[in-house]
Formats: sequence, structure tokens, C-alpha cells
Amino acid sequence: MTGATMEARGITCRFAGFVALDSVDITLRPGSISGLIGPNGAGKSTLINALSGAIAPSAGSVSLDGHDVTRMSIVERKRRGLSRSFQKTNIFPDLTLRTQLAVATRAATVKNMDEVAEGLALTELLDVPARDISYGDQRRLDLALALIGRPKVLLLDEPAAGLTAAESRDLARTIKSLVQRWNVTVLLVEHDMEVVFSICEQLYVLHLGKLLTHGDPQTVRANKDVITAYLGSSADEGGDE
Amino acid sequence: MSAEPMNPSATRRDWTITMPVALLLLAAALASGMAVPMMIASSLLLSLALQAIIEAIFATSVGILIKQNGRISFGQAGFYGAAAYIAALVVERELASPELAIVLALVIPTALAFVLGLLIVKIPGIAFAMVTLAIGQALYEVAYKWRPVTNGDDGLAFSLPDTVFFLDSDIFLSPASMFIVCWCVFVLILFGYAWLSKSPFGQLTEAIRDNPERAQFIGYSITLPRALIYAFAAFVAACAGVLFSLYNGFVSPSIAHWSFSGAGLIMAIIGGPRLIWGPALGAIVYFWIKEVAGDYSDAWPAFVGAILIAVTLLIPSGFGGLLVSLFDRVRRR
Repeated sequence: MTGATMEARGITCRFAGFVALDSVDITLRPGSISGLIGPNGAGKSTLINALSGAIAPSAGSVSLDGHDVTRMSIVERKRRGLSRSFQKTNIFPDLTLRTQLAVATRAATVKNMDEVAEGLALTELLDVPARDISYGDQRRLDLALALIGRPKVLLLDEPAAGLTAAESRDLARTIKSLVQRWNVTVLLVEHDMEVVFSICEQLYVLHLGKLLTHGDPQTVRANKDVITAYLGSSADEGGDE
Repeated sequence: MSAEPMNPSATRRDWTITMPVALLLLAAALASGMAVPMMIASSLLLSLALQAIIEAIFATSVGILIKQNGRISFGQAGFYGAAAYIAALVVERELASPELAIVLALVIPTALAFVLGLLIVKIPGIAFAMVTLAIGQALYEVAYKWRPVTNGDDGLAFSLPDTVFFLDSDIFLSPASMFIVCWCVFVLILFGYAWLSKSPFGQLTEAIRDNPERAQFIGYSITLPRALIYAFAAFVAACAGVLFSLYNGFVSPSIAHWSFSGAGLIMAIIGGPRLIWGPALGAIVYFWIKEVAGDYSDAWPAFVGAILIAVTLLIPSGFGGLLVSLFDRVRRR
């Protein structure tokens, strides 16, 4: 599979009167890594949920390679090549890594279990129940489950959350390498600016449910509104690689 | 990145058995049961043993729902009773041959459970348990209130014709031969369940049990697999119900009552619901307490209650889980 274009137009999510997302537009180019940043409560995870089908947007549309998937279920979107990871580790705790990766592989057209396990350094842990591996390994397992089947579009919701700086850098390298190898389209939600600036080609900045700006990392990093709302000093620290 | 498991014991591989070994074990299990009536002369003991096996099959049906679907049912007695009544009614009213009666008694509760399962399996936790309670009690009420057909609380007696499945029907009435029948059904169910549990479908249902949301995100619909497991559990309960009906030649509404569903749940919890053979072990323990403590006091359920509390607090994996961990400890030495 190769990367696909994902477009969201006018995505609005309301929860009992609270507007979590307000007419957000994004376009993910095939084979690109885009970052989605913003302070806590900006609506980043809500947008990922709306794109992946976990929640239905109150308004707006989502398309994948030109096909409208707004009303499609999670399973139908997955079959069209959309995959995601989660902010909180979302794995099968009682199953061994081998079993859960095998279950995921059976649902996929591309059988890449060995490649994913090797790429994410999980091979030696395949016979261990997921609840017994370290948090960092669980985060990589979460990512591995999303990568099984070589998705066209991958939505990563804070894959480095809770990892050490070294683990985060390692993960960023792994993601970049896999994306380049498989030409996957990626939307990355991440607070670690080092990770974001090191691998993203374009950035979307959300603030209070609205799209503040978007563009290449250098442009976004120089944007005064973004610095005021979110980046602050981290704009000077990140993106050195 | 770490490549070491946090819990060293966790590297223990599951027991994997090749097909020839499994078939050998199956043959040995069947043969050992067939030898029991030759070693036990007492008809009373054999009768008690076969009733315990029927209850073990019933408890297994409750355990299947817990292990594969992560769901607790208070309504399995409904399917057990439905199967027992269908077999009894069809034979007593001579609506069809006894062979067809048995087939119908297995198929109808299974199909009913599948259809109901498609509607209810998405209901979470306690709410699911309450819905199953309602389903079980609805079936009980049919047996209790539909007097023109079921004879209400007077129950329904029936006699088998001379032959069933080309066999002398006395086979189903004699404790020695019926023990063998029940044992064979029990062993085949356990082996079938073990095969299903290890199969890709069994792995999928356990994944859905662990994390239904993630199962959808890796591409699976979660309703159909859960409904199939619900139907399979009902089929196993129906097998127990048919055996009960054939052996006793009598059915009454009490067999479909929720309290029997509750007993099945207690058996599964005592024995270890996450083990294939755990609920059956729990049924044997439950049955033994009922028979032994029941000789001394009508308050025998209090003993069961005390054991249930102790197991829940001290060994949540049940007696079966305790045996497995002891076995593992000995094996590692």
C-alpha cells in the first residue's frame, strides 16, 4: 500500500453545547508526516477521534483518497487503510504479543507481522503477555498494532507520551523510517516538540478547538500567535536534528 | 528500549499440543471414563457421578461466556431448561422421533441464543448480566405458566421408545451406561472448547474480551464473534439439559430457574472461569459439598457461600488457577 490523501473539511464537534472543534480543515498529503500540536484541551484527540470514526462529528466531512468516509464505521475505515494509535496505551493486556499481532494480521491484507515486530524491537517479547512488558514496550506495541497491514494513513495520538527523552528520539526515528519505507501518510499528535520538529513536514496548530495556523515547521515556529498560545520557549529548543 | 519482560515468569509459553497428541489424549480420556463403571459397582455412586458431570457441562457453558466474552450470565439455566423441555415435549407428545427431538433440543436454544446475542452482546457488564437474567426468567415463566403444554409446576414425565439412535434406550436410564454417555459428551465438549479457544476465532474473541475498542480499530466487527460465543455457550448448556432430560425422564420448571444459573456461576468462579476445565472442577466441588454437607445440614448452601467468599478473596483464579500455579512452581524447580 502507498500513502493516501486524507482531507477533513469543516469538522465541528459539539458535546452538550461545548464546542470542542470548530470548523477545522486539514489536508494530509500522500506519504507525508504532518504534526498536530496545541495546548491541552485544544481538541487534538477529538480531531483524531473524528478522523478515525471513534466519534461522529456534528458537522463537516472526512475523505480518504477522495472517498467520503464520514459516515463509515471504524472497521470500514480500517479496511480502507486508515489506522491509529492511542494517547492512553490501548492494547490487549491478557494476550501475548504474538497472539495479538497475529489477530491483527488476520484482519489485514498485507501480512507484515514479522517486519513490524522487528522494526519496533518487539521480537524477543512475542511470547510475553502484554500486561507484563514495560510501559515503553507497551507504547511500541500500541504502535505495532496500528502498523500491521501497512496502513495508507496513520493517526498517531501522542505515541511518545510517558517515554523518556531517549525513547522518544528512538521512536521518532522508527516512525520516520517506517513511513519512508512504506510511504504512509501520517498525522502525529505530540507534545514533544523535539519529536515533532524532527520528523514533521507540515504542522497544524489547534487552539481552543480552532485551527490557529498551519504550514511548514519553520513558518509555524516563527508565528507569534503560535508562540503566545502554545510553543513559548520550546520553539527555540526543538528541531535541532 | 527494553527487551526484557518485567515479570520473568511471564515468559512461560502456553502448552501447545500437536494434533496426534490431542487425539491420543482424547482417546485416553474417553477410555478412562468408560472404565469407571467397571470399577464402581454402586448404582447410587454412578448416578451421583453422572449428575455431577451434567452439572460440570452446565458450568462449562457459564465459563465459556466468562473466558471468551468476558461476560457473566444469570440466564444459562434458561437454555438448559429449554433444551430439556423441548426433548421431553417432542417425545411425550410424539411430535417427532426421539432422535429429531434431541437435535431440536440442541438447535433451538442455540439459534435462539444467537439471535438474542446479536441484540444484547454489546451491552456492557452488569447490564448484560441483568438482561441474561431477564431472558432466563422469561424461559422459566414459559415452563411455569404455559400449563396446557408444560404441565406447569407439576412437571412433565415422558418415556423413551425402545430404541434411540439404533441403541437400546435403557442406555439412557441405567446409571452405568448413562455415566459413559455423559462422560463422552463432557470430554468431547471440553476438547472442542479447548480447540475453539486456541483457534484464530478463539483468539479473536479473547482479544475482543480484552479490548473491544482496539479490536474494532484493527479491523474486526465485535458483535458477530460475541454472538457466536453466546450461541456456543447456549449449545453446551443445551447438551447438559438434554442429558438431564433423557436420564430423568422428567422435567420441571425449577431446572430453568435463575437460582440454577446462579449455581452455575458459583461453580465457574470456584473452579476458575479463565481455565477451560476450571468450571467443571468447580461443579465437582460444588456437587461434592452439596452431597456431603447436605447429609449433615440443610444449610449446605452456607458452606458454598463461605467457600465462594474465600475463593473470591484469596484465590481469584479459583481452585483450578491455584492448581496451575502450584504445578508451574513444581515444574520450575
